[in-house]
Amino acid sequence: MANKGDLLLEMKDVKKRFGGAIALRGTNLSVRAGEIHALLGENGAGKSTMLKILAGVHEHDAGTITFGGAPFISGSPQASIDQGIAVIYQEPSLFLDLSLAENVFVGRQPKKGLAIDWKEAEAQARKLFNELGVELDPKRQARGLSIADQQVVEIAKALSMNASIILMDEPTAALSASEVERLMTVMRNLRAANKAVIFVSHRLDEVFAISDFITVMRDGATVSEKAISNTDLQTVIKEMVGRELTELFPKTDHPIGDVVLEVNDLTNPAYFRNVSFTVRKGEIVALAGLVGSGRSEIARSIFGVDSYETGSVKINNKPLKKNSPITAIAEKIALVPEDRRQQGLFMVAGVNRNISMESFDRLKGRIFLNFKKERALTNQWRENLSIKYADQSDPVDRLSGGNQQKTVLAKWLATDPDLLIVDEPTRGIDVGTKAEVHKLIDKAAGEGKAILMISSELPEVLGMADRIIVMREGRQVTELSRKEATQENVIAAATTGKKGI
Amino acid sequence: MASILKKRTFGREASLGIILIFCIASTGFINPRFVTGDGTRDLLSATAIVALLAIGMAPVMIMRHIDLSIASTVGFSAWLVADFCAKNPSFTWWQCFVIGGAVGIAVGVINGLLVAGLRLPSLVVTLGTLYIVRGGVYVVSNSVDYNAQEMPPSLLSLGQKTFAGLLPFPFLMVIILMVIVGWYMKYTKPGRDCYAIGSNPPAADLVGLKVFRRTFLAYIFCGFIAGVAGVFYLMRFAQVDSTAFYGQELAVVAAAVIGGIGLLGGAGTAVGVVIGALLVQTIQGALAALGVDAFWKAAINGFLLIVAIYADRVLARRTEKALLAQRIKERV
Repeated sequence: MANKGDLLLEMKDVKKRFGGAIALRGTNLSVRAGEIHALLGENGAGKSTMLKILAGVHEHDAGTITFGGAPFISGSPQASIDQGIAVIYQEPSLFLDLSLAENVFVGRQPKKGLAIDWKEAEAQARKLFNELGVELDPKRQARGLSIADQQVVEIAKALSMNASIILMDEPTAALSASEVERLMTVMRNLRAANKAVIFVSHRLDEVFAISDFITVMRDGATVSEKAISNTDLQTVIKEMVGRELTELFPKTDHPIGDVVLEVNDLTNPAYFRNVSFTVRKGEIVALAGLVGSGRSEIARSIFGVDSYETGSVKINNKPLKKNSPITAIAEKIALVPEDRRQQGLFMVAGVNRNISMESFDRLKGRIFLNFKKERALTNQWRENLSIKYADQSDPVDRLSGGNQQKTVLAKWLATDPDLLIVDEPTRGIDVGTKAEVHKLIDKAAGEGKAILMISSELPEVLGMADRIIVMREGRQVTELSRKEATQENVIAAATTGKKGI
Repeated sequence: MASILKKRTFGREASLGIILIFCIASTGFINPRFVTGDGTRDLLSATAIVALLAIGMAPVMIMRHIDLSIASTVGFSAWLVADFCAKNPSFTWWQCFVIGGAVGIAVGVINGLLVAGLRLPSLVVTLGTLYIVRGGVYVVSNSVDYNAQEMPPSLLSLGQKTFAGLLPFPFLMVIILMVIVGWYMKYTKPGRDCYAIGSNPPAADLVGLKVFRRTFLAYIFCGFIAGVAGVFYLMRFAQVDSTAFYGQELAVVAAAVIGGIGLLGGAGTAVGVVIGALLVQTIQGALAALGVDAFWKAAINGFLLIVAIYADRVLARRTEKALLAQRIKERV
């Protein structure tokens, strides 16, 4: 057993690339026993890659990792477990059909003779749950546990494996305030038992409440490693964001017209509460906030793919039927979803078929699709958006991410919508194409469309939006105009729920 | 809500048992022969092969896979065993089981390599081997049939044996296998791994379970049982041609599903599967006893399967709703 303060894990100049994309370009991390260590950074900074290397899911390309004084054996989840590394993923990976006791001891069940000793397993699980200060019935099936309780089971599993280091990927993202409080108590107990805890979080108030040490990452590299006493909230935010707004955002000013979308007191208790806002003609409104703060769910509810419990949505001053995407499309709403591969495109269908998908009525002859018109439409949008493909009928699967995104945009722009909702419009596409997509969004606004944009990328939000609504845990924290908004006050509102800083 | 969860996990076998007793009782009421010793022996003999196959397939289905090739394997094994016996008149019963088992293992190895090794979808792979193996029977048999006179008398007399006056030998084997597999699946690590793998395949990888080995062995076991079932086929019918047991794989899947093995894996027991097979056979027997014609028998079988899946779905949805309500309460 390590003593408090002993160096447990040291990662030096660790590098990792996936195909052409560089995920880690030289990161350092050192963690001591009996320490709660926060790993911070914007989305895409490389935190998850770091955790996955330690978990044995990925293997690093270069750099050294020492664990417990010996070289770390990489590349297999089993090896990581054997070395004493336990990982608790953002989505707990329990076996929902099995009992809690079994989940704790899966693969390592205590035996009596030839048979598994279920009584013993249940007794040991109960003891672990007691140590963690939670009341859970070890015989109970895992299905139906709240995320918080599932995490507790995962932590109990980690303890039963006698792990010396426990990695948690955004453990609090889906928890309520009281559950966060309980988790923090558990984390403090782990620290007292000389375990090391590494946790990733976007909630900076929690980070400062509990951690001893903070490592900040940006663009795949470590920016700073500081004890909590040597840093503060503003410094950390600056380190996370780092860059000035150097990328060019082609936002231009447009006349702002009548209200197109009016959302009133919209509530779906599982995801968001009392959300009210408007979007006007020619205006770009951004919904900012962390992943999981309810932004996408709001968009989906407006568009009708999801439902809501109370509140109302009006489009062009007309009440919009809830839970009916068909009505939404008829009322000229378009939604470019977050996950283009799963939700935005038919990956094996041609570019032309994807673009014409929502405009079928305009393109058909008497009964059937008129291929000439479809070809013309595809060519028109190819030119408008400069989509690159070899042949119109190429499956979109073969296009690059940026061209796929443009194809989704083309599909919806072809319907000439009054309201265009874009969810993470530039996720996973390169800088050059990003600027093009931004230009398109700006042009659409210039044509008098109302735009609701969801983005986790702060520069994008600040660069593109006329108004910014900041969400946290399903609630509107604040609304900022283009002039008022700064990186600092948006991050502060999204992570701490405080309006000013 | 706790009661819903309990019902879902523990009540399946009990409620199936009650339905089974109800079916037997009500049929017996209309046709008293159904509940006599003869009737019971008939029911158990008729159920044995499907029950055996369903137990063999249980681990595969618990791992969220399926094996559609079993009925072809039964036919292949039955024909080959009969062929060996015809050419070697000195053969006795245990040699039949060795040959049948070996044929089954061979098919199981192929299925296992394709599904566990290459990670191909089991539905397609075993649909393929279903046709390949059946094609093999057609080619090898060359339209030759075998009857009782070509089979070892020791084998046929074994099939006629009953224990305690009620239990035909094949069903005794079902009960023994049920106990062994039931125990193995509940009380050993490999058995539990099957449930974990079927319940959440990606998580099984993450906790370092031996997914390949478990899947591969499950297919070999399933094939082995199918091969052995071929010998039981000979025992029962004392004749075999190239269409033996044709198309019966879905009866096995139906018995397993009705017996509580979800197509999504992670749940089900050997006991449930045997009760499921008995239930299907009882209803068939009952319909025959009531003089219902063959078309309606098949249709009612299909209906029963849909009802079983629907009942599962309803329970799952009720659980989900209760959980969502609870989560919302926690969030407030």
